[in-house]
Amino acid sequence: MFGGLLVAWLTLIALTRLPPFILPAPQQVLAEIVLDRAILFPAVLTTLGASLTGLLIAILLAFLASMVMDLSPSILRACYPLVVLSQTVQILAIAPLIIIWFGFGVQSTLIIVVLFCFFPITIALVNGLRHTPAEYTRQFRAMHASKWQIWRFVRLPSALPAFCSGVRVSAAYAVISATIGEWVGGSSGLGVYILRSKNALQTAQVFAGMLLCSALSMLLFGAIVLLERTSLRRYRQYNNTFEQLKIISKGEEWI
Amino acid sequence: MNKQSLVITAFAVLVVVLLTVVRSCDAEREATIDSDDLQPVTVMLDWTPNVNHVGLFIAQTEGFFADEGLRVEIIEPGEVYPAAAVLSGRVEFAVDYQEYLTLLSEEQTGLVSIAALLQGNTSGFATRSADGIESIANFADLTYGSFAAPFEEPTLRALLECAGSEDGVESITFVPVGSDSLTMLDQRRADIVWIFYGTQGFQAEEIGAEIDYFPMRDHTDCIPDYYTPILIAAQEYITAEPETVRQFLAALDAAYNFIAEQPGRAAEALADAIPELNRAELRRSVPWLTQHTHDSNGTWGGQEEEVWSEYAAWMHRQGLLSARVDKTKLRALFTNEYLPQ
Repeated sequence: MFGGLLVAWLTLIALTRLPPFILPAPQQVLAEIVLDRAILFPAVLTTLGASLTGLLIAILLAFLASMVMDLSPSILRACYPLVVLSQTVQILAIAPLIIIWFGFGVQSTLIIVVLFCFFPITIALVNGLRHTPAEYTRQFRAMHASKWQIWRFVRLPSALPAFCSGVRVSAAYAVISATIGEWVGGSSGLGVYILRSKNALQTAQVFAGMLLCSALSMLLFGAIVLLERTSLRRYRQYNNTFEQLKIISKGEEWI
Repeated sequence: MNKQSLVITAFAVLVVVLLTVVRSCDAEREATIDSDDLQPVTVMLDWTPNVNHVGLFIAQTEGFFADEGLRVEIIEPGEVYPAAAVLSGRVEFAVDYQEYLTLLSEEQTGLVSIAALLQGNTSGFATRSADGIESIANFADLTYGSFAAPFEEPTLRALLECAGSEDGVESITFVPVGSDSLTMLDQRRADIVWIFYGTQGFQAEEIGAEIDYFPMRDHTDCIPDYYTPILIAAQEYITAEPETVRQFLAALDAAYNFIAEQPGRAAEALADAIPELNRAELRRSVPWLTQHTHDSNGTWGGQEEEVWSEYAAWMHRQGLLSARVDKTKLRALFTNEYLPQ
């Protein structure tokens, strides 16, 4: 797959004969990564740190927000449009405000990462919580389970797959949103490296930064998928319980 | 502790640890600030670092700021207007342009130009040599790569009129090129772009793009010359900390003298400070810039009232300013008082 992309890249250069300051060759880009490693290494660490921290804060906030919105349908109705609204904000337009209020540096980057990553997780989790199979909740209610117990043992576990896919989407966004954050007001990181290189017409450097961004995104995405798989074992257990419950509720194995 | 609360605790610890790590990367330089008696000030650039900022970086790397008792942090604007950052108090100084400060004069912002980084305008219009455009009068019917500033159209209109073109600025098609002006010119997406010769002029040489260049400086009979870029600060800050302003400018004065004497060394120092820049380009652009850093008396940073008044009057004639800028307002816009004597 990656080999195919590489071939396409090389073919594009050969066919269009675009000058290297518009489309540099892969070997030039790799050479830049090696050449600039002394500045790229700290830049990668800064961007990865901001992405990861922002993603974790987003997960935490999304979890809390979903819990609150899950309390009652009227809260959900009131808050859901606000969550959607948060995604319609043009970041470049409000960037000066964010930076003037929160200052230059990593805190402003984090806010932008959270703003990007919060949405997919919240939407997925709210949706997951709302679509708990009714038969399970009925069954639990019949067994006099409390609201908390139903949430804890039925609704939350059944919402986990949705939650995980939300986190996966956010993980894919995290690095790019961090570079956008750095772009609008950072002083270090891959975003700053790319912007400086772009304005200096050092296109091979721009592509080198871009390549590292993609690598980081995939790394983060892969890590989340891996984490999901490990915790899936526990979820499978729940799933088995559900299957049993289903059978029980149908009364097939009863008595 | 059960398994669940263990997971939650681990999550919380992870967030805290990451936040601390990320913060500490940021706080590294702040820590060094605390370790000495130097006064911290921040200056914001108008763009990503380039040759126009060489004095600020030399004052930093060669220790001229420290000699004056200052620890200066140089930050890039990203998507923030330097003027807004100064007004908000987030930064003490910023690099801006006479055009913008004059436009802002109607708002009575209290922003003051404290020094001219370059003596006059080093920008101009570039076209492809292959097109054989010999004069500004031939700009009519071409495509102009715009960066969306309010004074682009009036400037082109005035230049066309002065060049005696029969067609007005309306015959020129504006397309947005943002910061990609040179690429768009080379790839024929735009026929005319407005460049700073110190950056894009030398970049054109680096990429082998042959351009014809029409410097604004050659048309001062049409559009008065103006200072771009300049250094600005808020009047409130200047009144409160006049000594810091003096020290800041004294350090820059020393830096610009250093650059004038050793442009080669200055170019290497700038390339070392900002490795993203093209070293080969700086080796030629920094020496070129030294022709424009000092006035005919060899003084750095000075600004003439005539330059401010004539450009403001021109802006008013072009309808960019609704009212004339009177002498009091004009004198509030710039000062030479804090430059070293």
